[in-house]
Amino acid sequence: MKTGPALEVKGLSIKFGDFTAVDDVSFSVARGEIFGFLGANGAGKTTAIRTLCGLLVPSSGSALVGGLDFSDGGKSIKKIVGYMSQKFTLYNDLTVGENLDFAAGLRKMEPRYAAKRRRELFELIGFDRPLSTMVASLPGGVKQELALASAMLHDPEIVFLDEPTSGVSPGSRARFWALIHKITGLGKTVIVTTHYMDEAEQCGRIALMRAGRLIALGSPEELKRGAFPGPMTELDFKGAEAGEFISALKKAPGLLEFSPHGMRWHAAFRDQAALSAALAGLPVSASAGLIKPSLEDVFIRLIEGAER
Amino acid sequence: MNGFDIHRSAAVARKEVMHIMRDPFTLVLVMGLPVLLVVFFGFAIDFDVKNLKLAVYDRDNSRVSRQLVSVFDSSGYFIPSAVSSPSRAITGLDSDKFSAALLIEPGFGRDVGRGALARAQFVADGTDNSKAMAVLGYLPGISEAALRKFGGVTRSDPVPLKARYMYNAELNSRWFVIPGLAVIIIGLLSILMTALTVAREWENGSMELLLSTPLKPAEIIAGKIAPYVVLILGGVLFVNLVARFGFGVPFRGGIPLFLGGTLLFIVSALSQGIVISVVTRQQQLAMQLSMISGLLPSLLLSGFIFPIESMPVFFRYFTMILSPRWFMEIARGITIRGAGAADLAVPLLALAALSAALLAAAFKKFKRDLEP
Repeated sequence: MKTGPALEVKGLSIKFGDFTAVDDVSFSVARGEIFGFLGANGAGKTTAIRTLCGLLVPSSGSALVGGLDFSDGGKSIKKIVGYMSQKFTLYNDLTVGENLDFAAGLRKMEPRYAAKRRRELFELIGFDRPLSTMVASLPGGVKQELALASAMLHDPEIVFLDEPTSGVSPGSRARFWALIHKITGLGKTVIVTTHYMDEAEQCGRIALMRAGRLIALGSPEELKRGAFPGPMTELDFKGAEAGEFISALKKAPGLLEFSPHGMRWHAAFRDQAALSAALAGLPVSASAGLIKPSLEDVFIRLIEGAER
Repeated sequence: MNGFDIHRSAAVARKEVMHIMRDPFTLVLVMGLPVLLVVFFGFAIDFDVKNLKLAVYDRDNSRVSRQLVSVFDSSGYFIPSAVSSPSRAITGLDSDKFSAALLIEPGFGRDVGRGALARAQFVADGTDNSKAMAVLGYLPGISEAALRKFGGVTRSDPVPLKARYMYNAELNSRWFVIPGLAVIIIGLLSILMTALTVAREWENGSMELLLSTPLKPAEIIAGKIAPYVVLILGGVLFVNLVARFGFGVPFRGGIPLFLGGTLLFIVSALSQGIVISVVTRQQQLAMQLSMISGLLPSLLLSGFIFPIESMPVFFRYFTMILSPRWFMEIARGITIRGAGAADLAVPLLALAALSAALLAAAFKKFKRDLEP
């Protein structure tokens, strides 16, 4: 097992003409970590991932992937990473075996070694159908797991997953994430992008991106503490007329965030005193309870709040 | 290309073969199109105009004039039928009942007997240009045959010109058309197939995945097109076999030279397909662009049917940048004339230059467009 960080990114920028997709981003990822990229569409997550697996060359700044740099245009990086793209999983008109043989052929793997890896990975993902199964006939979740197996066939040190669970059922998502934990248990590093907050909660650390910039970095707990140092309360007006109270609350001193969540509202304050003062005029029929902020609250505060 | 790896390329080619085997549409297209074209151009489309309805108004009605009509009849090109007035003949042309009319003046037989200038008028329907040209082409032969029949009484031509058609003595149009079919087949299929197969990888996002492996663009391109080269060569072979044994079209030149020229042309067409796929990145659009850019030049501007010499000046020069034009010359030259490499130096060099240029464009475009 090699030592040193899996990723070491310093001042990384990626430009397409005048457009800066990734803007001066720095972070480092330890081996065996699950590192998540969170952000809206177009925030630069996919571009960052594509660069780190050798598909794009940085415009400026530096990035070491598994200790390797881009001096050869990403060629050697491609050998030690596995990549699962957002859109494509496997060729539907080929069988499971043909897909995996193709993946092995692209990596010039010895047939015997490829077969051994295939058996190991099938065991890992719990795949027990015949190799002659057409991929088109597999359910979405199984396809996704097989795509992961295909991306890991050459035993990469670092696995990049770009929205791996988009479009699969909640049950399959849970299964897939259990798989991600298994992989890091084997000493692999997993870099993942996602839209789902519950998935982000499972990452060791999260990089929050907005408009190409890294705006927050840390574990889910750290992000929550950073965004909401004070208490957060959930307000339920139970259908009562509360327009006046809400407009007053919005101007209350010490209010950090106030946003609707379904029929309820989340209000975060700088400290306990600000909360008590602001909720003094709460209508009698309404209820307020302290809650722990979720990553969704963090996302709203840091990403959407900045856009307001 | 430094570090081109044949094994990775072979993996791509193997996968492509599996795609082809699983997709009946591709197979039907590649196998069916040559068959369809051969049947179409071999049987249905015949530029030799035969059995034309000829209106005959014979005011002379002498032995000699009847002999003239019988010469038209026995030529096989015309079916004469008598009409009662010149205007009937003309209305017959108007209504498309007749394709041509023969009007014989009174005294025709007498003038022929005297060796004087005998008058008969031939009217052809000029609506269909190529038909009219073909009909007029028969006239010298017919008048010569008629004079012979009239009994050696010839009006001596000051400079007697006799035409003999070399390589295709009967001017059989199948000889002219069928070797050109290889051009159409390669032109269309190569462009279409590569455009579709590469566009498909872009469309479903797998191109990105391919590029995330150590696979190089050159390896992708080579692996992608190799199976189609084989398929398309099969199509060309089929057309040539049918031409030879089905229609008796000769193959007079060298097979290696023909293969070389064919490969050059295939490369140019495949490169064009790759450029199209990289530009469009969508199968639908790639298909439409391939159809237009693959079929129209080889059908209309290659000299397949319309001679380049008779095109407007602009098009005459324009055809020079179209690879089908050069390959048409090569294909016909080798099969019909038995031309060698030296005879075909100009078209071969032009085709090689165009292929190299298109291949370079394909690589460049492909590499540059890897970035989103």
